[in-house]
Amino acid sequence: MPVWQVIYDELKDQNFEIISVAQDTGGEADAGPIFDDANVTYTSIIDVNHHISALYNLVNVPSGVWIDEQGNIARINEGTYAKEHFDGAFGTNDYVPIVRDWVSKGADSQYVWDRDKVRDSIFERTPEAERAQPAFQLGSWYFRQENDAKAEQYWSLAQELDPSSWNYLRQDLQYEEGGSAGPEWQQRREQIESAGGSYYAPLEIEEN
Amino acid sequence: MSIIRKTLVLLGLSLCSTLVRGQAATVLYQERVVELQEVLPDATDLWVKPEDLTRINDFELKPQGACFEEICIPVLQDRDSDMYITRQDQGWFNVTELADKLQQAYVVDYQEGVWAFGEMPVKRQSFLRGGQAPDFELPDRDGNLVSLSDFRGKKVLLLTWASW
Repeated sequence: MPVWQVIYDELKDQNFEIISVAQDTGGEADAGPIFDDANVTYTSIIDVNHHISALYNLVNVPSGVWIDEQGNIARINEGTYAKEHFDGAFGTNDYVPIVRDWVSKGADSQYVWDRDKVRDSIFERTPEAERAQPAFQLGSWYFRQENDAKAEQYWSLAQELDPSSWNYLRQDLQYEEGGSAGPEWQQRREQIESAGGSYYAPLEIEEN
Repeated sequence: MSIIRKTLVLLGLSLCSTLVRGQAATVLYQERVVELQEVLPDATDLWVKPEDLTRINDFELKPQGACFEEICIPVLQDRDSDMYITRQDQGWFNVTELADKLQQAYVVDYQEGVWAFGEMPVKRQSFLRGGQAPDFELPDRDGNLVSLSDFRGKKVLLLTWASW
């Protein structure tokens, strides 16, 4: 996040905005200090119902979407850290340069996708998964009412309806023993990766 | 819902509506939490007063049907139907029937009378088929409502993350 602030300071005068949306049911108490520590000046939202993920068919964090001046998507559904972390354990230093390229060249940037590529890259949801968002929202509503039994009931339902969503799983695990990066998450992640899958939405940067 | 079951539901409504007063309900849709003073008691569906329909999802009951922007779903209002019934001069609109027609997902806790509705597919076609960024309205950390459309004319990098 501090890295995004540096990028923002560099690019904000070129008709560019960052909208950073925390998928945090715990609200300001959980996500606020992280925004504060980074002295963020770009648009900051704490999305307690995970609406942005539901709206853009995103299932994991971090995820990035490029939106052009007319409101058309130019890239979507990519696991997007601002830089490489822990010697390449996750993240890459290759993403920020393509953002910079897009901001300066706009539609002429080679990293802008055409409409077909955008459409094909939108994560496809099953009809069951469409019900996961209202189930999750119902659970979050009960969470705020401090009705933990009902919150758990509907958060579990959301995970059953949409097993592809890491967000629904890990938000729930945050309040369980072991936490959001505990054994259950590790095991599920290893299953995916040992089957050749990718935990983060793949980030494929076009060759120069 | 089968026709027989629907008939039973309508029959049930006509029997109980003279005996039972309306009950309260809560509806969650997008960022809204809509408290309804009175809905019609029903085992499966959510029947609300026409003015409450607009509070829930911006649809408005007009002579030609339930309408939002360019979408209009026909609704008969001079006789009882799956979508609309009249009891003691009070009209009641079936929000869940509208959701079914629009293929809008919802989840309900009958025990507590809380209903949560998902996005309407009709509003998502320009995204899924045309790659247009769906607009939203969410409060920022200062409580000001932020929409994507506020940034028309700028490039926007939308990033999701989480503290957990």
